[in-house]
Amino acid sequence: MSTAAYFIGLGAASAAALLGAVLPARRRLLAAAVLSAAACLAALVGAGDVLVSGHAFSVHTAQVLPLTGVDLSLDPLGALFVAATAVVGLAVSCYSVGYGVHATPSRIATATLPAFLATLLLVPAAASVATFMVAWELMALTSLLALLTDHRRRRETRDAAQWYAAMTHIGAAAILLGLVLLAAHAGGQSFAAIAAHRRQLSLPLTSVVFVLTLFGFASKAGAVPLHVWLPRAHPEAPSPVSALMSGAMVNLGVYGILRVGEDLLGGGEMWWWLVVAALGVVSAVFGALHAAASTDTKRLLAYSTVDNVGLVLIGVGAAGALAAGGQQALAGLVLLAALFHLVNHALFKGCLFLGAGALQHAAGTRDLDRLGGLARKMPATAIFFGAGALSISALPGLNGFASEWLLFEGLLQGFASRSAVTVAALLAGVATLAITGGLTATAFVKALGVGFLGQPRSEGAGAAREVGPSMLIGMGFLAGGCVVLGIVPGVVLPVIDRATTAGLVAGASRAIRPGLGLALASVHSEIDPGLLVGGLLVALVVAWGAVRLAPRSAELRSPRRAAAWGCGRDLQTARMEITATSFAEPLQRVFADVLRPDHDLEVTHTAESRYFPEAITFHQRVDDAVERVVYRPVMAAVAWWGHLARRVPNGSVHRYLAFGFATLVLVLVVLA
Amino acid sequence: MQLRHVDAGSCNGCEIEIAQAFAPVCDAGRFGARLVASPRHADGLLVTGVVTKNMAVPLQMTFEATPRPRVVVACGDCAVNGGLFAGAYGVAGSVHDVVPVDVEIPGCPPEPSEITEALRRLTGR
Ligand code: SF4
Repeated sequence: MSTAAYFIGLGAASAAALLGAVLPARRRLLAAAVLSAAACLAALVGAGDVLVSGHAFSVHTAQVLPLTGVDLSLDPLGALFVAATAVVGLAVSCYSVGYGVHATPSRIATATLPAFLATLLLVPAAASVATFMVAWELMALTSLLALLTDHRRRRETRDAAQWYAAMTHIGAAAILLGLVLLAAHAGGQSFAAIAAHRRQLSLPLTSVVFVLTLFGFASKAGAVPLHVWLPRAHPEAPSPVSALMSGAMVNLGVYGILRVGEDLLGGGEMWWWLVVAALGVVSAVFGALHAAASTDTKRLLAYSTVDNVGLVLIGVGAAGALAAGGQQALAGLVLLAALFHLVNHALFKGCLFLGAGALQHAAGTRDLDRLGGLARKMPATAIFFGAGALSISALPGLNGFASEWLLFEGLLQGFASRSAVTVAALLAGVATLAITGGLTATAFVKALGVGFLGQPRSEGAGAAREVGPSMLIGMGFLAGGCVVLGIVPGVVLPVIDRATTAGLVAGASRAIRPGLGLALASVHSEIDPGLLVGGLLVALVVAWGAVRLAPRSAELRSPRRAAAWGCGRDLQTARMEITATSFAEPLQRVFADVLRPDHDLEVTHTAESRYFPEAITFHQRVDDAVERVVYRPVMAAVAWWGHLARRVPNGSVHRYLAFGFATLVLVLVVLA
Repeated sequence: MQLRHVDAGSCNGCEIEIAQAFAPVCDAGRFGARLVASPRHADGLLVTGVVTKNMAVPLQMTFEATPRPRVVVACGDCAVNGGLFAGAYGVAGSVHDVVPVDVEIPGCPPEPSEITEALRRLTGR
């Protein structure tokens, strides 16, 4: 059944792309959305079946790709990623109907979204090097096209697309090189053949392969220092696309690392995984810091993706290191936590990106400094965005808490490990988890507080209306997922555990005891968020009842309504409110060495006296330090080389003939 | 007794004396009087100075923002009856022209001990 459902899903997504391209303007949006939602449902059923039963399926066909044919196989590890993509895709498909309603997107834009979805569903099922690379490149191309949707209206979009294209293709080249090397030495290009021959591979070779593929996959996952495309591409892409990119595509980077490192290469050396964990630590701290300093909603979310991918990589790296050190059970627990966090991240980040799209749709801007007061105008969006923000800040009762708790538990238990290096790495992981928790909370208090509370800071925000039902359903679906997984995380853990078992070579299942809450099997440690939330609700009801029923004076029975206290000013304007920039300022000051904000203060004086300013303008930019330090010099060097190389072909026929002649002579000399 | 201090147009002489009333010698705090930062936290207002035209509305708003039951203390001659500045340019009136006054502390400026005395009558200690 799983095979049929999965292929129906793939087919429906492709059909959606096709219909999006050919149907007339009025119908294509709805047709594409309905078909892609159906595709996601079918894929979810297929992947769910694989996950629940634990039986993988595989299909080989000699058609489609010449020479090699296509190998598809879905094991529980791949199925987990398909399922996560399908859930986000379902919400996005629904949301895209309302999102496209005002300005009907072009044919290409309508077609690329389902096509992108189809490739996202395809990658985790690829079971040979050729199939994987084709699927991977298709995903890169469709996502690039989807990102370019608004290129006519904004220059920045083109710029972002160039960055994305460059990063993703450098990454793909590295992956291709690594996998081809692997296939050449393993005597076959199907994943099963490689896995079967991995014992015959030499360690230097596997290390080279791992490092090459890690480079490629980390650039897709958005790990620092390969993250530079994220904060550019996410703000420029339409929100459904950003939601898919952040909720599903970056996951596949993590998938690739697991597939190659654990499944194909069999775990390998401990240092591989320490590198992965180090990438995670750097990404998490850097991403969280920038998220806390950003004032553009989607840029903030993009950096927070870097942060969360970092957390997942810490888990993946720690699990790999523990497994390489022989602690299978603990490795299983940590990997379970990492994968659970990845699923949760897909849910809440999808929800937040859709919410950010709703804000932009309604208020016409993404700039937090120009938003404000939206909670009253868009109550449902505010609730859903709030649910996402609370989840990502890991508040109990929501899914972010559940997975971060598990991750903390897993890392802390590894302290009993005998290897000092592992303990140091775990310590770094725990510290990172702690500091990013605080920074993330700051970032989302800012997003929620400045964006939704207070008074509107611009006309657009003042005129904002609640978005349409389809967009709300899309967001609500994901927000609901956050709440459900937060209250009863126990229901999905056995399923994710199966993927963990498939992911780790010497699989260690049953890291958790069955139940609705979180209960570890190895030691006595458990927490039940359901009870926590239930208790909190009971306490609230009791407190509310006590206040209502308590005897009160006449004065208290008829409460007096008074205006909000504004320090006695009779003129209260939105310009007096705290802004996102000012909220982030103290933090920015503390971390000025990392964030390196650029300030620009200009004061013009009145003609009469220098003591009276006429106007004061203040500009601030927080650029990406990695981009400035690493990428700019490299780009400058490439540009310089390009200029130099341009001197050689100067258009003169004589010179070209001379080149031809010289080459001929050279060839003859060599052959002679 | 928590009080929000409002300077409605004082020469700041009264403020200096109020600061002294809460300083170690008199220490009005030990009798249960406290100055707070927001009228939302206050049981009453401690108003100094004549009420200037610019401060009439803010004083009114601060009074409105104070939860009931509330007291208004007029501190200094200016606050009680206009004092030195009665009828001057830019003056709206004394405090009771704008909000109802419960306790008056005469003097220009009143001494810290007199202020403490009046506050003790309010706190009952
Ligand atoms: S009463 Fe005297 S000291 Fe107090 S504000 Fe008026 S003039 Fe100044």
